[in-house]
Amino acid sequence: MVKAVPTSIRIAAIVFVVLTALLLLAPLIVVVGASLTANQFVSFPPQGLSLMWYEKVLSSPEYLSSGLVSLMVALLVTVTATLVGGAAAIAIHRKQLPGSQVLASLFLSPLVLPTIIYAIGMLMFWSAVVGPVSLPVLWISHTVIAMPYVIRTTLAVLSESNPFLEEAARTMGANRMQRLWLVVVPQCAPGLAAGAFFAFNISFDEAVLSLFLRKPGMTTLPVQIYGQLEFSPDPSVAAVSSIMIALTIVLILVIDRLLGIKKFASA
Amino acid sequence: MANVRLEDIKKSFGNVKVLHGITLDIASGEFVSLLGASGCGKTTLLRAVAGLESVTSGSVAIDGQTVTELPPEKRDIAMMFQSYALLPHLSVSENVRFPLRMRGIGSREEQAERVKAALETVQLGHLAERKPRQLSGGQQQRVALARAIVSKPKVLLLDEPLSNLDARLREDMQVELIEIHKRLGLTTLFVTHDQEEALSLSDRVVLLNGGRVEQQGSPAEIYSRPATEFASNFLGSANIIPVTIESTDAGPVAVLADRQRLQLSQSEPVRGPARLVLRQEDLAIGKSGDIEGEVRTRVYLGARNRYVMVLAGQPVRVLSGNDHVFTSGEAVSLSIDPARIRVIAD
Repeated sequence: MVKAVPTSIRIAAIVFVVLTALLLLAPLIVVVGASLTANQFVSFPPQGLSLMWYEKVLSSPEYLSSGLVSLMVALLVTVTATLVGGAAAIAIHRKQLPGSQVLASLFLSPLVLPTIIYAIGMLMFWSAVVGPVSLPVLWISHTVIAMPYVIRTTLAVLSESNPFLEEAARTMGANRMQRLWLVVVPQCAPGLAAGAFFAFNISFDEAVLSLFLRKPGMTTLPVQIYGQLEFSPDPSVAAVSSIMIALTIVLILVIDRLLGIKKFASA
Repeated sequence: MANVRLEDIKKSFGNVKVLHGITLDIASGEFVSLLGASGCGKTTLLRAVAGLESVTSGSVAIDGQTVTELPPEKRDIAMMFQSYALLPHLSVSENVRFPLRMRGIGSREEQAERVKAALETVQLGHLAERKPRQLSGGQQQRVALARAIVSKPKVLLLDEPLSNLDARLREDMQVELIEIHKRLGLTTLFVTHDQEEALSLSDRVVLLNGGRVEQQGSPAEIYSRPATEFASNFLGSANIIPVTIESTDAGPVAVLADRQRLQLSQSEPVRGPARLVLRQEDLAIGKSGDIEGEVRTRVYLGARNRYVMVLAGQPVRVLSGNDHVFTSGEAVSLSIDPARIRVIAD
């Protein structure tokens, strides 16, 4: 029997949990609520009830083209970050590479490096060495900041897997490639999937890099939203944000279906 | 089936010498146990045969062919791991098929046949489509065994495969291992720290101590004639008693620390300071006997009792039946057949 928790601490804990949940959810509720307004201004609670702002978003060439750019970049980033991050995680996990700990820190450094510094650096570097900014620079820079998440989730899964599986596969006649594809990669799968989900989300709502590395005709959705909010705020901003929230929820459901939310959360 | 020849195997990890030159011949179809405490090098030696560990010097030959430089995947072996190492994403039958698939043995149909046969050997035919995590520990262990025998390897390597099972399952598996070995006749190298397991399963027991072979021989040989104090201590928890051996007209006599005398067999050659090795099951406890002692503790074991006695100021363990129960502090005598006493010279 666990010793009873004093009532005062119990109440404090409940208040803490409720406050946390409220602060997490309140902005989402406000955004979704505001998007349903029939008014011309961003207001909460909504004045009247209408889907007119969603209609406006879906018929706006600016939102659609920036949405398309974001989606394309996010998909490209998901693929590259998962491939490179997954491979890096496997290499780091094996500790066979000389200086693998240094490499690990290097690969994970975008987590602690302020994005704005990286964005300025990337802009200067690209302009000096390659030329005017373009889609590839956005793709590469998003991949760099998304990759640590794939590495983290994959390493987490690998550290829990049976370290003797590969040796067992060797004694069963599996060569290097067979071990990689039939033993190691299947072990990594849940971590790779979770990492891919993070990578997509990070790229899709990334604003700092996209702001520095934009050019006419290559605006991402977050930058478009920011511009709209700054220059002509109307409830379409809330509507497009609500669509992004819905997209994230759908992605979480898909991941949950494929892997179970527990595994995903523990990674 | 094939013989295995290990010649002067040495292995160091950095400055730490783990194996000090081990030479071992295993005949085709023989079941050999490597027995020893943890850190004695038994697992390292097994892994060297598998190819999972390189050797510092020496050579490994399987079926007359030197394989010292070959990676494990190129050696015709199978190994069963302590943790079973089943592939969690594959079904039971896919796990058992894995070695056939990797080594390209047989067509798909033949593979399916052999998987089925192997699973039936371990009585798991009905669980073929399950995933490993849906099985109990004992069942996973059987899958690992089926996977190890399915390819009919030249050498079967078992790394403490029974240590994660409870006592009852372990006994069942021991019987199963004996029967499977009898049926398939695979050359088998078995690593264990459990002397009973080694004695009950093997044709030959190799006792390792500190990276060297301490003694080897048939289970009966190694149990009844331990060559060293380490061997007698390790096998069957023997009592070791320091004595001085004197020659008398009646033959050699061992003099204990408290001046009690114990007649030895005529053929005993050792004289002077020595140690007696007395097995607890060879000693009989009673009212009259060869030497006097006192009961300190009785441990009830169901079918038998284990007594801890004090003999010449030293604890001595004795196994005895239930016919008569002695109590703590009771003065008793011990008798022993002189032929059963082993003497180790100091």
